Amino acid sequence: MRVLRAFESARLEYVLIGAAAMGFHGLVRATEDLDLFIRATSENIEKLRSALREAYEGDPNINEISAADLLGEYPAVRYVPPTGDLYFDVMTRLGEVTSFETIDAEVKEVDGTRIRVATPAALYRMKKGTVRSQDHVDAAALRERFSLRDEG
Amino acid sequence: MPVQKFRSIEEMNKAPLPESRGSDFERFLRHCARWWAITPKYYPRGVFKFRTIEDAQKAREKHLPLK
Repeated sequence: MRVLRAFESARLEYVLIGAAAMGFHGLVRATEDLDLFIRATSENIEKLRSALREAYEGDPNINEISAADLLGEYPAVRYVPPTGDLYFDVMTRLGEVTSFETIDAEVKEVDGTRIRVATPAALYRMKKGTVRSQDHVDAAALRERFSLRDEG
Repeated sequence: MPVQKFRSIEEMNKAPLPESRGSDFERFLRHCARWWAITPKYYPRGVFKFRTIEDAQKAREKHLPLK
């Protein structure tokens, strides 16, 4: 929660995707990471760095997260904080189908902190077409729980 | 209903889950905390960069539970 609060105070533009987002929708499974889809701008990446510094007491590793990478050759960056219990997969591009501007998301509130979370339908669209077996399990669970249909 | 009895696994699987405390997200956090305690893993600390989401997923699979 500390880091989610820091994201809000930094006004980071992000959408929570992956298992944590599924947790918000009542489909609870364990995970070791928080998947963040962030708006791909230099300003927003600076907000991410600032929020992580606040949450992890200025961990110097955070300086290695750069706009040049996330806007360039490395659209996926993993940050493992000193606490080591939870890491972050930060993404600025998610293939051809999903963009930050068009992803369906809703705001959830936990202990007064607002968190932008991908909708079940958006998560389903992201997960159904991948090669990862865990994503297939997640997609099936989302489809069943929310009576989702494949779009023509 | 603290104790429920079932005549088969199928019957048990169909039974509604008992209501749990807190929001779905709190339940998720508790579940993860238990899982990390049961199967601790060591990830090298720091920042790692990937050209694709698939590369990031493959890297995650390299880390096995601590013995």
